[in-house]
Amino acid sequence: MKLSRRDLLVWSAGAAAGLLATPVPWKILDDTSIWSQNWPWIPQPARGPVETKQSVCTLCPKGCGLRVRMAAGWAVGVAGLNTHPLSRGALCPLAYAAHQLNWHPQRLRVVQHGTGSSSWEQARAAFAKASKEGPVVIIDGYPGRAASASFETYTEGRDGSYCVVPSPEIRALTPYESWTGVPADCFGYDLENTRTIVSFGTPLLDGWGTPGRFARIWAERAAGTSDPELRLIQIDSSMSRTAARAWRWMRIREGTEAALASGLARALLEQNLVPAHGLIPGTTLAESADQCDVSVEAILEMARNLIARSPTLVIARDNAPAIAALNILLGSVGARGGVVRHSQHSNLRSYAGSEVQNARAVLIDSSVPWNFVPQTDAEVFRFAAWDGGPTKADWLLPAPGFLEDLTDVPTPSASSVESYAVAAPLLKSATEVHSAAQFLSTIDARLIPTEKIIHNRCEDLFRRRVGTVHAHNAIPSSELASVQKLEEQLWQGGVWVGEPLPGKLPCRLKEWPSATPSSPADAWTTVWIPPVMPALSSKLYIESTLRDAPERRQA
Amino acid sequence: MSARYGMVIDLDRCTGCGSCMIACSAENNVPALPQATERTGLTPVLVRKVSNGQSGNGRRETFIPIMCMHCEHDTPCVKVCPQQAVEVDRATGIVMQMPQRCLGCRYCMTACPYHARYFNWWDPAWPQGMEKSLNPGVSVRMRGIVEKCNLCHARLHSAKEKAAAAGKREIDPADYVPACVEACPTNAIHFGNLADPDDPASKEARSPQAFRLLARLGTEPKIYYKSTQEWVRNLAEPSSAQGSEVQHG
Repeated sequence: MKLSRRDLLVWSAGAAAGLLATPVPWKILDDTSIWSQNWPWIPQPARGPVETKQSVCTLCPKGCGLRVRMAAGWAVGVAGLNTHPLSRGALCPLAYAAHQLNWHPQRLRVVQHGTGSSSWEQARAAFAKASKEGPVVIIDGYPGRAASASFETYTEGRDGSYCVVPSPEIRALTPYESWTGVPADCFGYDLENTRTIVSFGTPLLDGWGTPGRFARIWAERAAGTSDPELRLIQIDSSMSRTAARAWRWMRIREGTEAALASGLARALLEQNLVPAHGLIPGTTLAESADQCDVSVEAILEMARNLIARSPTLVIARDNAPAIAALNILLGSVGARGGVVRHSQHSNLRSYAGSEVQNARAVLIDSSVPWNFVPQTDAEVFRFAAWDGGPTKADWLLPAPGFLEDLTDVPTPSASSVESYAVAAPLLKSATEVHSAAQFLSTIDARLIPTEKIIHNRCEDLFRRRVGTVHAHNAIPSSELASVQKLEEQLWQGGVWVGEPLPGKLPCRLKEWPSATPSSPADAWTTVWIPPVMPALSSKLYIESTLRDAPERRQA
Repeated sequence: MSARYGMVIDLDRCTGCGSCMIACSAENNVPALPQATERTGLTPVLVRKVSNGQSGNGRRETFIPIMCMHCEHDTPCVKVCPQQAVEVDRATGIVMQMPQRCLGCRYCMTACPYHARYFNWWDPAWPQGMEKSLNPGVSVRMRGIVEKCNLCHARLHSAKEKAAAAGKREIDPADYVPACVEACPTNAIHFGNLADPDDPASKEARSPQAFRLLARLGTEPKIYYKSTQEWVRNLAEPSSAQGSEVQHG
């Protein structure tokens, strides 16, 4: 039989159709698909036994409890620690990617002097020389730690000074210091027992205080699933995240929070909603309403809301005496559900700016916000784990990153009770890094090692026999057999929590605070911004529009 | 008995913090690439901001986390996939995406009524050393495929392994919690077996305030939302949400 061209075409078409009915082409397609997804340059996660360790976040002074998942000695995941009594298992968004921060491209890996690189020996020699030649100022952003004690010891006897850049939460508590004589960092807010919270632009649901603490309280009590019901009133010039979720949002003209507070005080007194105090704000209701771009009726209604469900707590975003004074009118200072004292001891020596005028050298700890710039001609030694951009510092010294250093965690700002925790070094740095305290201890032999200071503090706590240690279980301190047991619990991620301090605080105004808005504060005083953001934070402001980019927030 | 895993998201509690987005990406080894944009990024959970369209004191805003809705019936992405890379797991109800099979044709992205699928435009890459911080329980996916939420399936595997090691057939519900649920600071996301009438999430799903997005399509999504505010509930069907604004992420 002779094959024609037509037969060949028919056979070819039949073979092609028949092949499709076999698994061969589909298997080839499938294998090609799999094979092409296993290129050798695709990153492979670390392999090894997975374990979970407990610790405390030290990225900012808010002391949130962490569960850190580790594989082959590396942190591969971060989650909140449910047994932590303050953060209660919740974290800020950035913390969930904090374990990636140590590998950030802007991680400081070498000592930098001016525009070039240098060495630790040269930095040490330069700082020791400066210390001999004149006063040294050490600036801390996270007071109360063992490192802070080392800073104080170093400046003692050197004609130097130690000062603190306070957090916005501490600055908001500053007015009570002048009215009671109690240092601002000894105060906190009894959020757990209050029934109405009036926030003057404070981002209560957006990272304020220990983020999980208020988020959990609000979620349980504002939703009415837990008693007592909480009413959150947000006074804000725009629809912020907190305003979006508040029971009432009162929109006012930007920068007139103090004027509204004076108007509310006037309304409370004129309507006899609170006992007469002897003092009365100079601003009239009509003036206040005009300044804030609201009606007098709206202020009167808000004043009634303030006393409808007491205790009522007023929280300012920053240092605003006119707003803080409302708590005195409402009887909320030193009272349950109000502004309470949690501690007897203070480490706060707030930075005023004058300290650095005649300094020979200024050492800035890595806990100080990156955008803090001291106005001085002194030689500036800046510790930082990450390079946050242009800086006026003469020396940039690489500090330990996330969970790379041993540090203790004192009471977070805004907390209503005293607390103490230890963040053990779970991770190793890939390059040589030193904390400011370690750096100073190589220059001054008087300084006590951090481990020893932490041990001494644990001994003090053990001797007091008060409070509870929250680890896997809550253990009353009085039931711990030895200080070693207490240390063991804290080193494994437990946290000691004290008891509320009883008693009212005598608090009296000499004159009613002015409603004039204070001069615009420096950015570093109003918002804590990390020097760099974790790479995954781009999900929030680049790959979505959920949040403004950091540069837009700072603008 | 097969499970039907799903969620009920209480929108009155969502503060739009974005913790779920970050925790999801960290858990599932989703890269953050500098060249990614709003249109080309990978966000298996995407929180969108919506408002009632008013201005001034009458304005109201809320946040809606959007992820794969794990449609139970006539699942659109399953129907259009030429490679059988998507299937509804009969044992769990989870709509599974198998990256090894995916050819990147993006039919599923077109078919998904919720825009909850994302194309992986670039090879996954992390700064030097950062690959050590990746989750060892989840493999890294290649470029050229489609990705989406799989309800942290790796965690389900871990829970099953734990149960098997203990000689149990059923997992402990506490062992299987997706990363977004765990990360939510206000406990707005309730996760559980919707087929179990006693499961707290199942009870929430039967609440009169619960609703599903585009329920009229009949795909029976297993992600429910809940709100006491009528204007928010009206967002579920675009035709009844006149005047509202959605800020697309």
